[in-house]
Amino acid sequence: MAILVKFFGDLAKKVSQKETNIESPFSLKIETQGIEYIADILKKYSIEKSETSHIFVNGVYSGFKKRVKNGDRVGIFPKNMGLLYKWYFTRVEDD
Amino acid sequence: MPKRILRVNMSKLETSFEDFPDSYATLGGRALTSTIVSKEVDPTCHPLGPNNKLVFAPGIITGTVAPTSGRISVGGKSPLTGGIKEANAGTDFPQRLARMQIAAIIVEGQPKGDDYHMVKISMDKVEFINANKYVGKGLYQVYKDLFKEFGNRVSICACGIAGELMGAASGICFNDPEGLPSRYAGRGGLGAVMASKGLKFIVVDDTGAPGVEIKNKELFDQGREKLRKALAEHDVTKPDGALASYGTAVLVNIINEAGGLPQRNFSSGQDDRAANISGEKKAEEIKIRGGTRPHHCNPGCVIRCSEVWTKPGGKDPVGVLEYESVWALGANCSIYNLDDIGELNRACNDLGLDTIEAGDTIAVAMEGGMLKFGDGKGALKVMDEIRKKTPTGRILANGCAFTGQAFGVTRVPVVKGQAFPAYDPRAIKGIGVTYATTPMGADHTAGYAIATEIMGVGGTADPRDTNKSELSRNLQVATAYLDSTGYCLFTAFAVLDIPEGLEGMIQSVNGVLGTEVDLTELGMKVITTERDFNKAAGFTAADDRLPEFLRQEPVAPSNEVFNVSNEELDKVWGA
Repeated sequence: MAILVKFFGDLAKKVSQKETNIESPFSLKIETQGIEYIADILKKYSIEKSETSHIFVNGVYSGFKKRVKNGDRVGIFPKNMGLLYKWYFTRVEDD
Repeated sequence: MPKRILRVNMSKLETSFEDFPDSYATLGGRALTSTIVSKEVDPTCHPLGPNNKLVFAPGIITGTVAPTSGRISVGGKSPLTGGIKEANAGTDFPQRLARMQIAAIIVEGQPKGDDYHMVKISMDKVEFINANKYVGKGLYQVYKDLFKEFGNRVSICACGIAGELMGAASGICFNDPEGLPSRYAGRGGLGAVMASKGLKFIVVDDTGAPGVEIKNKELFDQGREKLRKALAEHDVTKPDGALASYGTAVLVNIINEAGGLPQRNFSSGQDDRAANISGEKKAEEIKIRGGTRPHHCNPGCVIRCSEVWTKPGGKDPVGVLEYESVWALGANCSIYNLDDIGELNRACNDLGLDTIEAGDTIAVAMEGGMLKFGDGKGALKVMDEIRKKTPTGRILANGCAFTGQAFGVTRVPVVKGQAFPAYDPRAIKGIGVTYATTPMGADHTAGYAIATEIMGVGGTADPRDTNKSELSRNLQVATAYLDSTGYCLFTAFAVLDIPEGLEGMIQSVNGVLGTEVDLTELGMKVITTERDFNKAAGFTAADDRLPEFLRQEPVAPSNEVFNVSNEELDKVWGA
């Protein structure tokens, strides 16, 4: 088991380190060692929080402090795929 | 020149101009079409008979230099829902009308015989031209022929073959800037209403038009500048924002991740193959093929969510493939191939069909065994049944509910007879409340709860919370105002988030009118007018409900059912 992480748009480009034929989403299965929160996934791939917009954990709109575990599906969208300006929406956080 | 109404009497083939009544002075777009329909159409009339009327109205601000404001509202009694209908589109057609000081066109009556007509409107005359030679022909070729005949300083509105069949899935077609028949006031079967009146085309030439009268230019200029700034700043609407980069199909992957992208006739809310038909994929393909992205659907749009999709090699342009169309003709039919979807979209445009209704119809026909899920080529063949006007084609041209009955299918996603758009109300409940309670039948644009529930625009909401009546009501009222102004619905992203944007929008509208119009008051008045029409047509609270299967079949992966209570639904309008 692992965490399935899907990076979309410009984040797919960044994480896959490809300039052409970029697949969106770029999907990775990552081990949970050292990964407790969404923020840890971002750190692992050198993604700033400000580079992201929508984050989903198992279909639930989530924040950086949402805990992740084995078997979860995580979708991370870049800033320019965000359909929001101010984040009024209550993101699900665990801490 | 003061504002005026053009009345087109199809029984007598006569036209006349009337003064724009003082009582309509603050109305435009949806507020005007719904008011005229409510005042002049018997709610119990047959939608395809002589007593229905078809009303076209540019928005209050349309035709001015205000950004992203080229919208037209088309209204009448819907042959699909049996209630009032307003469908709207972004195109240059209403900009020309507005500049000619034509606040509305009212098409009424019904001619004897089978002739079809074109109405050509210019500053010095309005004329009828026989249009029989265009009957039974696809709109791509017809639009080419008409632009060749009339030049490119005109705009064209049409009904297609689906309308000629009196099909309740037919829309009203307008041209895009390339002259392609790709901009639709699609919903509710208004193409059939147009055809029922023997009206095939309206051609508008605004040469010599005086322009829109702006009563308070200073206020208008202040307002439009604030709005322009807000649109340029917001992540959704700015020049390299979500909509310009990927078009409306930016939503494919987002809604799929949220578990709310209906697949295979609403039997699941997520499928990884959605990535093959996403906004990112489409934008990349357009770049490779030499299509156009971004692109505006009418002059003056700064958001530019539109595009021109083509076949490989940049051949045979289709026009825009919107999110709803890509979903309806794609994921909902288990078709995950953009070329197949592009050709299905082309067929819809060519035949004069609403892409949402058509996609849901094909999916239900697939469920009924007419063809297999995922069979893109088969779906294209099915479209030919409509083109050939066969009995099967007549069933399909009447939409999702009619086809469901014909094929004995019980999973039929409709409200008030109108097919669902691209959001599963089990995973995203607020949009289900809007589907159920808008006077229009299942319509996402009537109160776009998605923006709040998934995207966090303009409020707070949890998509799986069931207390949605207030959210849906507020959004429906705000949308009714927006649909009346002529501003595109997508300006809402910026105006709901940036206070100066909203202020600018209201100032610009008030600047044109020279008087103050209250957003909530106008929006509520529009909805009340529409609901009163529907009540008189026989609608009750029982019509404000979603289909049974949504309460019984959990949708993967969330395993949610639609569990908003009937009491909560009835609280939206206090029924």
